[in-house]
Amino acid sequence: MNRQIRGLGVTLIVLFAALFVQVNYLQIFAADRLNNHPANTRAIVRDFSRPRGVIQTAEGVVLARSVPTEGEFERLREYPEGELFAHITGYLSFSFGGQGVERTYNAQLVGRDQQSDITKLSDLLVRRELTGDVTLTVSKRVQQVAAEQLGQRKGAVVAVNPKTGAILAMVDYPTFDPNRLSAHSQSAVRAAWEELNADPDKPLLSRAYRERYPPGSAFKVVTAAAALATGSASIAQPVYPSLSALPLPNSGGQSLANFGGGTCGGNLVEALRVSCNTAFAQLGMDMGADKLAGTAGDFGFRDEPPVDLPFAASSVFPEASAFDRDVPGLAKSAIGQQDVSATPLQMALVAAAIANDGVIMKPHVMSEIRNDQGEVIEQHRPEQWKRAVSPSVAAQVKEMMVGVVERGTGTAARIPGVQVGGKTGTAQTGLDTNHVWFISFAPANDPQIAVAVMLENIPVANEATGGGLAAPIARAVMQAALAG
Amino acid sequence: MMQVVRRNTELGLVLLAGLLTVGGYTLATLGQNASLPANLVPFLLIILGLLAAAHITTRFLAPGADGSLLPLAGLLNGIGYVFIARLNEDLAALQALWTAVGIGGFILTLVLVRRVRDIERFRYTIALVGVGLLLMPLLPVIGRTINGARLWVQLGPVNFQPGELAKIALCIFFASYLVEKQMLLSHARHQIGPIPFPDLKHYGPLVLMWGVSLVVMIFQTDLGSSMLFFALFIALLWVATGRAAYLIVGGGLFALGAYVAWNLFAHVRSRVDIWLDPWAAPTDAGFQIIQALFAFAAGGFAGTNLAQGSPERIPAVTTDFTFAAIAEELGLLGSAAILIAFLLMVGAGLRIATRAEAPFEKLLATGLTAILGFQTFIIVAGVTRLIPLTGITLPFISYGGSSLLSNYVLLALLLRISDDQAAREQAQAEAMQVTSA
Repeated sequence: MNRQIRGLGVTLIVLFAALFVQVNYLQIFAADRLNNHPANTRAIVRDFSRPRGVIQTAEGVVLARSVPTEGEFERLREYPEGELFAHITGYLSFSFGGQGVERTYNAQLVGRDQQSDITKLSDLLVRRELTGDVTLTVSKRVQQVAAEQLGQRKGAVVAVNPKTGAILAMVDYPTFDPNRLSAHSQSAVRAAWEELNADPDKPLLSRAYRERYPPGSAFKVVTAAAALATGSASIAQPVYPSLSALPLPNSGGQSLANFGGGTCGGNLVEALRVSCNTAFAQLGMDMGADKLAGTAGDFGFRDEPPVDLPFAASSVFPEASAFDRDVPGLAKSAIGQQDVSATPLQMALVAAAIANDGVIMKPHVMSEIRNDQGEVIEQHRPEQWKRAVSPSVAAQVKEMMVGVVERGTGTAARIPGVQVGGKTGTAQTGLDTNHVWFISFAPANDPQIAVAVMLENIPVANEATGGGLAAPIARAVMQAALAG
Repeated sequence: MMQVVRRNTELGLVLLAGLLTVGGYTLATLGQNASLPANLVPFLLIILGLLAAAHITTRFLAPGADGSLLPLAGLLNGIGYVFIARLNEDLAALQALWTAVGIGGFILTLVLVRRVRDIERFRYTIALVGVGLLLMPLLPVIGRTINGARLWVQLGPVNFQPGELAKIALCIFFASYLVEKQMLLSHARHQIGPIPFPDLKHYGPLVLMWGVSLVVMIFQTDLGSSMLFFALFIALLWVATGRAAYLIVGGGLFALGAYVAWNLFAHVRSRVDIWLDPWAAPTDAGFQIIQALFAFAAGGFAGTNLAQGSPERIPAVTTDFTFAAIAEELGLLGSAAILIAFLLMVGAGLRIATRAEAPFEKLLATGLTAILGFQTFIIVAGVTRLIPLTGITLPFISYGGSSLLSNYVLLALLLRISDDQAAREQAQAEAMQVTSA
């Protein structure tokens, strides 16, 4: 019988060998394929269920937190401030993924970046909450003022610290409630998603950093800086003739009129103060496309701003060659019309560049990240993004922008006791609507804040100008920031 | 002398198994709550107490028995307990009770069965008990259908699966019956090719067992046990007679039965369909096996660590799919270790079988070991999608009182056979010394 018993033994060894092979196959060879299988929701459910750090403002107001719940997902992501910070925090949706800070700092929030540096033996044994808490540069106080000021007008407000690039406030209207997208009921989330996407006002789209608008006269800051930087003009010379309209060459008799049909001229300082279209159009043509397009590029046009938010839009100023056969186009681009378009974030960076001696710092919303023990594990270090112009050119433009607020089109932005520099913009978008802009910084001698305000498609009636509608918003935001 | 060595080896290994269990339990609790288990000391004492009770029993009642089987069983039982505790605390308390019952059964078996040949005398009684146990769930009033299989009997507050004990009873009967009919059944008068075939009338027992297996499969919808019984019988028939013809005819009958069942019964067909293509209904019929496959993949080589994976996503993870949970959290290292532990038990069992002198003991040891080996294969191959899944427990590891009890009884019988042989060898050695002196 022993022969058969050994035979049985061999049979069992063969059967167990098959098990070994199969287990090896599943756990090693096919593991990657199975782990990444579309039907495998383990990783995503685990991400969705695992502890996740909070997102909070600079002053510690919680914007996003995870609370334990029952059910398949062990935690629910909550946004206590609702709509106010929706375009900064973004959302965390099981069905639709993440946006905003939730997306950019996902690894840090769930602590995945910390897993590699487990230092203590006990960390290996105990499931420490390896989460990271993200503190933003955004201040709730400034954000709230900006949101109140913007009210229910479509548009955006962006405020940055020119010296560090820290975003102090970023407000969009319309916006959305991120709680609706992070809910557990996926049918409700789906319904909210479809509703928000069907809305013609696009509440899910951040106007502040993902949408471009013609900047209009606010762009004259770039044109003036380009002229000074390239020696095409000085603050005194040339003196542009007083005109109500500038005939455009090779345009079949077109001419370019001043805003409201007024007459203006004078040197660069005077032209910027009153936002003289005829003078700046002439300056643009005199300077040439190479210099203007070059300086626009130095200010960040044509590049995606390196902000720590997903999918920031780059702003547009065409390459110089685009104007080879289009001198009228160059004239219009010099005053921020035609082919020029910019995000409010980019325009805030233009103001910041002038305020910060010509240097644009990398814009960012993350200030620092702490682990569950309260230790700082990541801290933002201010970094230069671009040098837009030299310090001397920046100083000259700064002086000119102060003139705009003190004696020009931007007087609505004046703050008692604080020297403010600014520039208005009103871009025609249709027969009877304008985008209105205001970009500014304060205080001029030691800039703490640079702001861009943009209101979309304002009817031409009711003083639809940057100076009339946008400048007061910028003033309130600057005041709030300086009061802090 | 030999006895002391074996028992001391067993003691050392038993302690090791106990420490591994307590360590695993501590790690799993740490992983879940980030704190030491509150009941660590009583838990430690209970584990060591149970293992010590089993060990002391072998020391007194089976001193010459193989020293590796009890520690291996204790290790598997312990790891299974750690996972059940990690997956379901309510079941853990019960599983601790079942472990105590199982070890009680182990001790009782060694106490009652002092010599293996004692049980040979009761073979017909045991056969009757076995068949009765097997068919018990089909009785009205006490029979229960749980999870689609009519395997359960409810007596008062206690549910149990009599089929688990029936397999041992049937194994005892098969062994004694085949020893008696060994000569008759191996008598081959025909020759087909190189293989001698016994007379047609000698296939009676085989066909009868085939019928019983079909009854189990059809009326209890228990594919796993059905397969196990039939495989056990064919294996014993072959070991006893040495006639490959029985393997061929048995294999043919198995194929025929499988084919007929596949055609006639929807539950068989659906098991096979899920096995062939679980992705056809990944959220429905195929969900369980797919989640198990994801668990294996999630474990990878080293595992997610205890209590750090998500095996609770697999339905029935504490019974049929415990192996997948172990593979996820302990990785390939853990799953391979479990398979090696079973293989070592199978090896020890078959070694006992080859050493035993009496044909009945030989066959019984072979049968008991075959049960352990086949059952492990059937369930592990099922959860790894090597063969269609059949609901059957993983010996010593899965949750379940009937399963633990029967496996510990099986273990006690193997140790008894081993000890009998050791005693015989020692007696012979002493006799040799006496004659040479």
